[in-house]
Amino acid sequence: MNCLAQNARLALKTPSYIAAAGARLLTTSLVIAAEKGSNATKPKADRTQSMAFTKKENTTKKVRSGTATSVNMSAANPVYYTNGPKTSLDLLSAETANKARLNTFVQIDDAFLQNTGRGRCPGYLDADFKLFGKPALLYRDLTQTLVDRLAQHSEAVPKRATVLDGLNGCGKSAELLKLASVAATSGHIVIYAMSTLPWVNSSRPYGPGYKSELFVQHELANELLRSVAAVSREALSKVPLGTSVTLGKKTLEAEKTLTDLVDIGMQTPSLAHDVLDQLLAIASKQAIVPVFIALDSVNTLWSNTFYRDQEDVILPANRLRLVRSFLPFFEGEAALAKGWVVGATSYMEGRFMPKSLKAMLNPPPLVPLANPELSYDPKVANPSASLPFDVVKVNRLSSAEAWAMMSFYQKANVVTTPLTEGLVAKKWVYANGNPRQMFAGVTTYF
Amino acid sequence: MGRPEQSSRMLHLLGVNLPDQKVVSVALTYFYGIGPLTARKICSKLSFHNECKLSELTESQLNQLSGVLSEMTIENDLKRQVTANVVHLRQIGTYVGKRHAMGLPVHGQKTRNNARTAKKLNGRMLRKYSTVAETAFARQAFGMFQSPLSRHQQD
Repeated sequence: MNCLAQNARLALKTPSYIAAAGARLLTTSLVIAAEKGSNATKPKADRTQSMAFTKKENTTKKVRSGTATSVNMSAANPVYYTNGPKTSLDLLSAETANKARLNTFVQIDDAFLQNTGRGRCPGYLDADFKLFGKPALLYRDLTQTLVDRLAQHSEAVPKRATVLDGLNGCGKSAELLKLASVAATSGHIVIYAMSTLPWVNSSRPYGPGYKSELFVQHELANELLRSVAAVSREALSKVPLGTSVTLGKKTLEAEKTLTDLVDIGMQTPSLAHDVLDQLLAIASKQAIVPVFIALDSVNTLWSNTFYRDQEDVILPANRLRLVRSFLPFFEGEAALAKGWVVGATSYMEGRFMPKSLKAMLNPPPLVPLANPELSYDPKVANPSASLPFDVVKVNRLSSAEAWAMMSFYQKANVVTTPLTEGLVAKKWVYANGNPRQMFAGVTTYF
Repeated sequence: MGRPEQSSRMLHLLGVNLPDQKVVSVALTYFYGIGPLTARKICSKLSFHNECKLSELTESQLNQLSGVLSEMTIENDLKRQVTANVVHLRQIGTYVGKRHAMGLPVHGQKTRNNARTAKKLNGRMLRKYSTVAETAFARQAFGMFQSPLSRHQQD
């Protein structure tokens, strides 16, 4: 107020132009004061309380930035947060896996994912399923081929193991997941490892075996047994042991079933490896119930691990007992009497893809030698074409599959632009038919 | 070797407070005398995986770790050993011992300029056994072994 009075006196004493400026200043000050007075009647907004975001309480663990708040979706602004579109999809099972589902999206059973991967999904599929709102995968031509082969291998005819190979993001892990899901619903004993990377990347406990050169991983073996029991309990209960089995201080009679055997392994982690070996031995010899063994990132079985022995020397994968349990199936030393063994390679972690295996899976084109006599020379490089397992190449998407994929993306609101043949063709060609690259092409902005 | 006591955040092991939430191979480097390589070798010997944290170790594993660490020369034992080595070199009158006494570089570095770290750190193990005056006398006395050009560098 003193300032205003001073300004008023100044306006009277100074020349006219200055007086005019001073008068303007005085007027503005009076207007601001008036507005303040009028605002005093309105209730002030409480800026200390947020509507949708609440801060988490302090925990002992240090939280990373961006995770210190939790979202209360019921209080979220409906303008910005909308519910995703609800798409109804058929659940993939032995009954629904047929040619009628070709080029459509099917849903993987949530319970199966929980039992096998504790809610996690192989490869990049976690992010995809989060975007779709449900675990949905495309039922491709290749899927139908593999399902037919699964049905064939359910006959009591021993076959070689099969390895799915292909470029990064072509759908190997997705195909394996679909196969395992179909096998689980068709009464197979399913032993499915969603990723074998934790077996070798030194992220899980390990220890030297008793009087053995092998190293044991009781936790991992125990987890595998739990997933087998959760997915295939009915199938396991149909297979008797055949002979009495002694595990530690416990002895199971011949009349007991594989369920009892697996239960012991689940209850006693220190016996998990023995139980797993017995399970594989009995299941591979019996022809009552077909067995399906599926390992993702199967290339780790032949790689070096991040583990070290007591002399600080890097362990190769075949020094791990868990790997040794499955390696014979892929090297042709063991076979299932009834069932199928499938693996899928993974190029996500290049450190676990041995060069020799990569060369065997992707041999260079055989060019005829200019001098035919050189072919008899043993020193001339001759790429080995003999693999102990069959290789199935997962190829690029066909045009129909690409269209089906983009249609689903539009229904799931991943793609908001109108779908035209030209757009789908462009995405398909730019991605070279690779599903991962097509997905990246429609979800990235730059 | 004391019994390991667990607090909410720190594990007290052999006189050193180790952070509980750290990976074992990293936490072991908190010991004087253990670097990344030695820590990795200890973890390999005891079969601790790369992502194993101190808080995940069982009592028996901690006892094994204490046992391995107590067999090694670390912390005060190592400091005493290093000091004893330097004192020995000085007592038998070696060139290296004299350089430690003068607080100058030991490994043949130039002293015309730089050598700040050596002047600050070298000889601190001998300072318990000699006074500042003695160190200055030693520098003067052995100054004849210095090159003439570098004499003006010495205080």
